[in-house]
Amino acid sequence: MRLRFQVTRRLEPSASMVFFVSVLSLLLAFLVSGLLFAFLGISPLEAYRVFWRGAFGSLYALSETVKRMIPLAIIGAGLAVSFQASVWNIGAEGQMLIGAIVGTWVALFSPLPPSLLLPAMFILGFLGGALWGAFAAWCRNRLAINEIITTLMLNYVAANLVLYLILGPWKGKTVRGFAYTDPFPQEVWLATIGTTRVPLMTFLFAFLAALFCYFLLTKTTFGFELRVVGRGEKAAHLAGIPAQRVVALVLFLSGGLAGIAGVGEVSGIHHMLRHPAHISLGYGFTAIIVAWIARANPLGVLASAFLFGALMSGQDALKVAFGIPFQVMYILNGLVLFFLIASEQLLYYRVTLRVAPWGEKEDECDRVLD
Amino acid sequence: MKRFAVGVLLVFLLCFGFVALGNTQETKIKAGFIYVGPIGDFGWSYAHDQARRIVDDTYPWLETVYVEAVPEGEVEGVIDRLINQEGVDIVVTTSFGFMDGTFSAAQRYPDKIFFHCSGFKRAPNMATYMADFHQVYYLNGVIAGALTKTGKLGYVGAFPIPELKRHINAFALGARRVNPNAEVLVRWLQTSWYDPAGAKEAAESLIAEGVDVLAFTEDSPTVVQVAAEHGLPSFGHYSPMYKFAPNFVASGQLVHWEAIYFDFFAKVYAGLYTPKNLGNVDYWWLLREGAVELGADFGMPINPVFEDQLKSTIVNDPVYGEISVYDLVFALLKAMADPEYAFSPFTGPIRDRKGNLRVPEGVRLTMDELITMEWAAEGIVGAWPGEPE
Amino acid sequence: MSAIGFWISGVVGRTLAYSVPLLLSTLGEIYAERSGILNLGVEGLMSLGAFSAFAVTFFSGNPWLGVAVSGVVAGCASLVHAFFSVTLRTNQVVSGLALGMLGMGVSGVLGRDFEGKVLATTLPVFRLPFLSALPGFEKHNVFVYVSLGLAVILWFVLFHTRWGIVIRSVGENPAACDAMGVNVTLVRYACVFFGGVLAGLSGGYLSLGYRPSWSYGMTAGVGWLAIALTIFAFWNPFWGMVGAYLFGILYHFSFRFQAQVSPELLNTLPYLFPLVALSFVSRLAARRKVGPPASLGVPYQRGSS
Repeated sequence: MRLRFQVTRRLEPSASMVFFVSVLSLLLAFLVSGLLFAFLGISPLEAYRVFWRGAFGSLYALSETVKRMIPLAIIGAGLAVSFQASVWNIGAEGQMLIGAIVGTWVALFSPLPPSLLLPAMFILGFLGGALWGAFAAWCRNRLAINEIITTLMLNYVAANLVLYLILGPWKGKTVRGFAYTDPFPQEVWLATIGTTRVPLMTFLFAFLAALFCYFLLTKTTFGFELRVVGRGEKAAHLAGIPAQRVVALVLFLSGGLAGIAGVGEVSGIHHMLRHPAHISLGYGFTAIIVAWIARANPLGVLASAFLFGALMSGQDALKVAFGIPFQVMYILNGLVLFFLIASEQLLYYRVTLRVAPWGEKEDECDRVLD
Repeated sequence: MKRFAVGVLLVFLLCFGFVALGNTQETKIKAGFIYVGPIGDFGWSYAHDQARRIVDDTYPWLETVYVEAVPEGEVEGVIDRLINQEGVDIVVTTSFGFMDGTFSAAQRYPDKIFFHCSGFKRAPNMATYMADFHQVYYLNGVIAGALTKTGKLGYVGAFPIPELKRHINAFALGARRVNPNAEVLVRWLQTSWYDPAGAKEAAESLIAEGVDVLAFTEDSPTVVQVAAEHGLPSFGHYSPMYKFAPNFVASGQLVHWEAIYFDFFAKVYAGLYTPKNLGNVDYWWLLREGAVELGADFGMPINPVFEDQLKSTIVNDPVYGEISVYDLVFALLKAMADPEYAFSPFTGPIRDRKGNLRVPEGVRLTMDELITMEWAAEGIVGAWPGEPE
Repeated sequence: MSAIGFWISGVVGRTLAYSVPLLLSTLGEIYAERSGILNLGVEGLMSLGAFSAFAVTFFSGNPWLGVAVSGVVAGCASLVHAFFSVTLRTNQVVSGLALGMLGMGVSGVLGRDFEGKVLATTLPVFRLPFLSALPGFEKHNVFVYVSLGLAVILWFVLFHTRWGIVIRSVGENPAACDAMGVNVTLVRYACVFFGGVLAGLSGGYLSLGYRPSWSYGMTAGVGWLAIALTIFAFWNPFWGMVGAYLFGILYHFSFRFQAQVSPELLNTLPYLFPLVALSFVSRLAARRKVGPPASLGVPYQRGSS
């Protein structure tokens, strides 16, 4: 008789396990971050306090968290759909910017009456981002070009387009020659919730987008089709699913959602078009992480977007309170991510100790499906 | 030395003012500085932070905090935190892109004072300030015009906005004063203010076109280093860049934001500036006020390595007659730093490169015309986005 | 030299110098991905390499030591990613991104005190006897020559040596390799480490040769471009080299031709070229079944197929 470690694999961890383990990993990440703060000469407890207060401690703090969560959730929901189809849309930054450009055009240069401006901004912004994404689909379907490279390169093209516009034909008349457009008319400034700076419309839309994507993935045929495509074009082909069309629609959707996020930023936060980096703020890339952490589940995206919004918000408070180097944020984020994915393994594997008879063979792969 | 003297003077004034006005202010004032870039950039944000430290160290009643790398759309959130979390009384926002955010924060916090750099919106509790280089660039141009052998000067600019256009124009005007056929070849980066790879390749491409003196606006000493690698003179930008190439940095533009900060904070402390009377407070400080300085390093207007060459280059100047370029630089410097502002680089007649008369004879450009300048002076070669017809 | 010759020499020379970091990082990533591990943290590894090279050279005065350290530091950092991807079998995308973030953050925080500092000695520039006769090759940093040579060598190794076959097979079918006695874990660790070393070296070149200095962000997105170029190159070091140099040429042109063409348009050309080039060859490659290593991004565990 002897003791043996047996590693068994779980098929699908329960939601409560996911939650518990995620929280545990976050706590561990913060513990390690405490060492980092100590290294920088800041009391870890003080740092935690400031962080907590900055992310959740007041209505204001929560609003700052939510403000950042919104674009992450909108884009993340679309990316979740995309990733489930194994379509790697790395171009959310560019799609966001295209949405912002289209929205700017509607707000400043279109002949529409004021009451139609806002809806037009969102609809056309969606279309702009969607077409930008669909172009990558076309490149993949017709030209067999990997969408990773297409979407990534198109990010740069979109950024340069913004620069061209704000330095050239769209440069504002009221901005003394600086690289901005004129401010948008008041009609398209998104109304905010109370005294916070959270735009109400996009806040609601974030939830709508997540719900819609979840519904699409789990309850529709299309969702089923795209998940099959996610397993491989061969599988889709065998099942008679038009993979190319699915890929196109998926990029159309995720690009469009990124476009809406872009419209939301320019009409809710900036009220003008400015330097691309200051508009997209890396949301397009952070949303990739948000979607991955949520395991490409659109509802989970809401939680991970909230997490990242809290991280950004709390880190802001830290920046202001301690004047720490802003690069500390990257270390914190990196730690959180590492702990989250390491803890994932805990979810999928269960280690048990059991008493085994002598004769039992040592087996390298002890996989017992639950 | 000069800025320290100014500081001491102001402190002295302050004590006197404190007593004289029966000051009932708090004993400490807290100011929060918001930078758009990292303070390690050795450019714009670095210079503001250096000034902050100087002012913080000099005024015992002043306490400062700073936040770096704040994206333009986030400034309001940071202002909120500075005021509510840190309890600052004065918020200093150091980038044009913060203007609208600062303005709306000024409406929301009518008891706090806001100080915005390079903008044009003001409020009873929001003042603006700027230290401009166009005079210094003119002098750099005079030096460059004398140093160049090929007659081609190079300029690497980040973004084609009026501030840079004004500086390049001043540079060109100065160069052509001593070298009427000098050309200024311009290359734009248009990626970001900090782009060392772009700056390097832009400088290299200029040198490949025959440029032999370089100036630039970009937040790193890359152009200086590239020029030095080719053995060419250059002009440092913003921070003292002499140390990066001691034999090749001929001169440069240096900024002393602390001159403005000394003045403003002292006046706030003394009660002269309150959250009610800032509506017309706009600093447009130049050589005269000590906000900018000609030099490769502090206290080094012209690099000694180039002195002999400049002293032996004689020109026939319309105003000063037969004069060495070296003496001309200092004569012009004196004239521009004169309290009566005896000389302005943008005094007419000045034509743009398309032949239009931009400044009539005997007229000086106003500050408004300076800060909205889009045209290109004669001698400038290259792309010029936004050039008027 | 004639005007045209001068012009060509200038373009080639600048391209060679500029493309080094892109080339090295791409070569490293190609090897890592060929073994089946996706490493998205190249940018952070480059930054770590650049910073450590600068710091070491600053204190020791020896740039070669700095170069060595840059490779070692980044290689060791990439082992973290290897651990998470090969041993723990976690999500490679997030692991790579997290590593990249850590790299950027650590180099940024530690590098604060080094910004604005000047190096007394930097990497030397020299001529090679026969090569310097070619236009553009007159005088270059050692990295330029090494990276060019390395590209050719790595291409050869990957496609014409046993090591290369092992690496490629591990990337295509790790289970079969495992069954044949190949230590998949070791191969993958080694390739990820190698990729990290090259990324670190490319960063070291930036801070010691290309632009001797340190400032946060000096890697300027080259790491991400390397990841894209890996795909563009169809995981082949030769095409990776071609891609890196073509990108460099176009980047150089974006400054040379500003007087004639709008700067914004020129700035997009380097990024459009991979798409344009691929539009001609991708279908051909697909028909020939040239694509990513089959197990790229998929953790291998014995017992699963």
